[in-house]
Formats: sequence, C-alpha cells, structure tokens
Amino acid sequence: MTADVLDADRIARPEPPLPALRRRLSGRYPVDPFGLDPQLADLCVPLFAAAVRVRVSGGEHVPPTGPAVIVSNRGFGVAEPAALGVAVQRASGRRLRVVGAPDLRFVGTATRRLGAISSSGPDVASALRAGHLVGIPLAPTWLRTGAGDAPLAVARALTLAPIVPAAVRAVGRFGSIIGSWGVTFGPMVTLPDPYDPSEPLAAARFTEAMRRAVGALLSAG
Amino acid sequence: MTTRVLVTGMGGELGTRVAQLIEARDWATEVVGVDFVPPRRRLRRALFRRIDPRDADRQAAFVEEYAPHVIAHFGVYEPASRMTPASARERTYCCTTATLSAAASTGALEYVVVRSGLEVYGPPTGRVSVPDEDAVPAPTTPYGRSLLAVEAAARGVALRCGIPVGALRYAPVVGSHVPSPLGRMLRLPVVPVSAISDPPFSLLHPDDAAHTMVAAIERRLDGACNVVGEGAATPWQAARLGGRVPLPVPPGLWGTVGRASEIAGAALAPHVVDLIRHGCTGDGTRARAELGLTRPTPTQDVLRELFDWADVVAIARAGEQAA
Repeated sequence: MTADVLDADRIARPEPPLPALRRRLSGRYPVDPFGLDPQLADLCVPLFAAAVRVRVSGGEHVPPTGPAVIVSNRGFGVAEPAALGVAVQRASGRRLRVVGAPDLRFVGTATRRLGAISSSGPDVASALRAGHLVGIPLAPTWLRTGAGDAPLAVARALTLAPIVPAAVRAVGRFGSIIGSWGVTFGPMVTLPDPYDPSEPLAAARFTEAMRRAVGALLSAG
Repeated sequence: MTTRVLVTGMGGELGTRVAQLIEARDWATEVVGVDFVPPRRRLRRALFRRIDPRDADRQAAFVEEYAPHVIAHFGVYEPASRMTPASARERTYCCTTATLSAAASTGALEYVVVRSGLEVYGPPTGRVSVPDEDAVPAPTTPYGRSLLAVEAAARGVALRCGIPVGALRYAPVVGSHVPSPLGRMLRLPVVPVSAISDPPFSLLHPDDAAHTMVAAIERRLDGACNVVGEGAATPWQAARLGGRVPLPVPPGLWGTVGRASEIAGAALAPHVVDLIRHGCTGDGTRARAELGLTRPTPTQDVLRELFDWADVVAIARAGEQAA
C-alpha cells in the first residue's frame, strides 16, 4: 500500500480539475502534520502568482533541498509573506512554510492548509527537522521602514538550519503594496568568530546579525 | 548472563506482539507476562500469569518473586477500549504502582520502558501543534492525565534505582486487531466530525509500535520519545477514505453524539473527541534517529488497513447452512 503522495516540499503542477475533484471526494490526498494540504496549495499557486507580481534577485542563495530558514522584513498584513512565497517558488520550486499561522478557527485552518505553521519554537524546530524551508518574518514595521526585531522562534532554529536573509520591497509605481514586489535574497548569515549556538548571548548576537543582514539588503535596494 | 523480561498488559494486542518479538531474541533468557486476559496469540517460550491488576497485592508479590531485569510496561488501559473509563483508570494506576514499586524493591531492575501517548501534550493550543519531546505536557483528558501519571511513576523508579527509563509516546494505535475507540468510531457508517474545524491527526501502525518498544529495550532509550506514523489525515478525510459519511457536529452537541455513538457500538472517550475536534500529531524525529523507525507506516495506510478489515456480519447457523 502507498499513500497518495504529493511532495510537501516542492510545488507541483496543479492536477486537472476532474481527477483533483475525484481525489478530494474520496479522501485520497495527502495532509502533513502541520495541516498542509499540498493538493489544495498547488491549486492556489497560480492564483497567488497572478495576484502578486514579484521580481527576484539573488535566488541562487535559496537552498534547493534540505532544511533552511528565510528571514525577511514585513509590514502590516500578509503581502510580504505572500510575495516571499512566490519568490521562493520562482527561485527554487520549493514550498515556503511561513511562520505565523493565526490562532483563529477558520483563518488559522485556511492558512495552515496552504502551508503556514504556528510561530512557536517547537513547531519551527519540528518543521526544520522534517526538512522544510521555513519563512520567518521579522517583527512588523508598520510603515515598512526597515527590518524589525527577530522573533524568539528564530533562536531555536539557529542550531538546526542555515539562515538566509531576504528583503521584500514594494516596487510599484507609488511604492504601493498593491503593485509589484522586489524580493532580494542574500548570502547565508554567519558570525565572524566561532560561537556556541546554545548560548543565549550567541543567539542574541546571531539574531542581531540577521536583522542587520535584512536591513542591509533593504537599504542596498 | 540472565535477562528476565516482564511484559505487563500481555493480554493486549501490543503486549502479545511485543512478547512474541522479545522471545525471539537471544538476550532475553526468560519472558513472563501478566494481565487480566490471556495473550492474543500463541507464544513459544514466554510464560503468562493471569492476574487482575486491581489485585495489587498479588501483582506486587508476583513481581517481587520474579525480580525482572527489564520491564516493558503495557499495563496502560485505554478508556472505552476494552473497559469503562473508570475501570481503565483504576487498572492502569494499580498495575503501574504495584509493578514498578515491587520491581524497584528487588534491586535487580536494570531498565523500564512504559507505553505512553501523544495525549499527554493535550490539544494543540495554536502555539504548538506538532510537539516534540521538549514540549511541556498539558493533558486535558483523563487518559492523557493517566499516561502522564504512568510516566511520572516510571521517572520515580529511575531516580530511586538510578536506571534509565524510557517512555514511548505513541500516536493513537489503530489496526484491524487493536481494540480502539477511535478505530471503532471511524468504522461506523456515519462518522461524527467537527463542524467548525478539520485538524490533522497522526496514527501509528501496531507493528511499528511493537518494534519500537523492543528497540527501546535493546538501545536502553532514556526519556520520552514520540512514536508517530508518517504524515497525517483529517477526520473528514478519514471518513471519506473509508467510504463513510461525515456528520458535522457543532461544539455543543458532542455529548449527545457520544451517547448515540455508544448505542451504535462505539463509545466515545474524551480523548477521542479531543482528537476529532483539535487534532493530535507529534514530531517523531527522535524515534527515527534513536529507535531506527526510519520508515513508519503512513497514517493514511494505517487508515486504509483499518477500513480493509471486513465489516462485522452475521454468521449463518449450522442448521441453516445445512438446509
């Protein structure tokens, strides 16, 4: 026996409507422990790609396989995470597991179906151990003025995966969030000297280095 | 060198299966099991002693006399599985305390591994939905609290005797031969599901559960370890996989549905309702790395196997057959 497997890590071409509907009615579709429904998520990818226009640079920094964390800036709303998800898909064909699924009955379930995970440290660690590409937005800067503080969940991820900074900027005509987005990925974040990731001070230095890396990418753009 | 192994709860499907696996190992020179019902399969060299765990004095005397080196503790009874919730709680408590305290007093004990479950974590709060072993247990159901008490008792023995103690936190074990309230409910023609959520849950195949228990003994696993099947399924999806009709239940009606389900032959325990409403998954990385469970049976295959099991049918009487 085998499960009806769709790759939870890589985005696939959506199935034709009739077989997809048949699979859904018979229950033959995969679900991952975080609630991701790859079949449903793949169906939504073309919609997101059409709604969020993205220009990608530095896509070679996104790891093609294995666990990794992408840290990015964000403003108010879900525009930046959505743009980042589209950019990651375009750069590597992988699915981004965005951290921050809201703890609300219907919205939370819907975002989890599309691949979001909760912002708890254990969930981030579990997703990385399962080999996923996890997107952790920094704290929102409401007026999109730069990179916010790194959430605590990142500290737990330090020992588990490489961390790649990303800057998401509105590049529409008026810098409007409805227009196009520019996403720039930077090289992996490291510290200049050796460190013990389990040490709280090293974790604090590392998260600060991450924030600076995202800030540098934003100001370079 | 002699290794005496005691399997409590040997009359259950998992207890019997583990006893079969252990008696095939050379390192186990003696295998003895206790339970209130006999083993479910033929055992070649394991011995069985029928003792009701509620008779704690008799159980303790037997354990003291046998003086086991290793205990595989399956004397953990799931509510609404083979007995009422009150009876399950009482048997679990008596079996755990009598066995572990008696074994600790013999001075021969080298290792204990207990059967626990993901129910110890309680329902996902929105913050932690896939807990690893570092997540703080916060059970909300009687079964979850019972499992946590078993783990605590085992940790007490570890401190008292200075030995390693493992706790296998199984995802719900479902299979054609495993008495399980969840399995029974999913095999009803109409399956109650939550009207306002469809959370993922993971299952564990009985063979994976048994093999990891033996691996835990052989590798002397220390501490808690989640043992979880690959992937997940949702209640709506599970119902459809079995060709059943999902019945959406609003939050206030689970009591009524529980009573109806009991009349239909599938009593709903609180931890099963919790699973249907809030989900139940866990991070099984440690079991993969330390117990060699590299390819656990996928949750949806466990469900398929459950549904492939033939429905209960009336058997024609001898006279009718002859006619």
